Amino acid sequence: MVSGATLKWLIWISLYVIPVVLLPWAISRAWVHQHRRELPLQPHQLFQRGELGLPSLILASSVIWNLLQSQFTPQTVALGSVILGVSGTMAVTVWVETYCRQASGSDSRPERAWRDSRSLALLVFSMAAVMEILLDRFARVGGR
Amino acid sequence: MSSPAPALAHGQRQIAVVRLADASQAVAVLSLAFALSLVFSPVWFPAMIVRSWQHGQLMPTMMAFTLLLDTYLYLRVAYLQSARPKPVAAVCLGSLPLLVIAGLSLVLQSAVSHTLSAGLPNPQGRIGEEIVAQTYLGLVCSVFLPFLVIRLLQQFKAGNTA
Repeated sequence: MVSGATLKWLIWISLYVIPVVLLPWAISRAWVHQHRRELPLQPHQLFQRGELGLPSLILASSVIWNLLQSQFTPQTVALGSVILGVSGTMAVTVWVETYCRQASGSDSRPERAWRDSRSLALLVFSMAAVMEILLDRFARVGGR
Repeated sequence: MSSPAPALAHGQRQIAVVRLADASQAVAVLSLAFALSLVFSPVWFPAMIVRSWQHGQLMPTMMAFTLLLDTYLYLRVAYLQSARPKPVAAVCLGSLPLLVIAGLSLVLQSAVSHTLSAGLPNPQGRIGEEIVAQTYLGLVCSVFLPFLVIRLLQQFKAGNTA
């Protein structure tokens, strides 16, 4: 049985997907329309430098903040914070590495940066979803 | 130094290079499956985890599962790259999941003791949620951390040889 309280994390998490993926896509389309240019606007072209890693770290930070506010034991809070922080940092590292490769003129592979950042962003997103569900469950158990 | 014979050089395969994206996709799928299980069976699934922890079956099951998953992921990477597995990576993948889960088992015992000694309301419910949360975090750590260690070792080795 799925309750409304259990599904509220879905709305919460979608608040991150809209500005991360849809907003840049919509703005770039508006720019193309305004300047009458032809530009590749597929997600793998728009985020080919690993930019998805940046919002991943923001998402991880916000879940860590929620975790710190919760009534979980310090052991669970520490464990969740560390693994979320490491995942978010590794997602950002893809963008940093791609920038360094491009800036230094060394071997740059946009398709690999897109694949890595997409996989790590999906990892952070799915972990954030599970942690929000667990926080929601724990808040209800702790409130009894 | 003389160059290797062409037949030997052709026979030598490169060592498999691991990227975090290989493991992160698997962990993401695992997380989504865990999330869907919690949403669609909010009572049965957590109760099953707690019951198996009470019977002492949770940690051995997690160890076997993560060991098999890590091995599969590494062999898949080696197969896709047509490369040979590295002994150091195999040792990491064989030992780290077991060490991580054994360590997390101690952390979970500590968290349960902390909850019981704090005198908070509804301790049974809290302990159940702690067990579910730490089970999930243990699964993620034991799949993701070995690949992170292998990746960092590869970066370190590449930096030294460059």
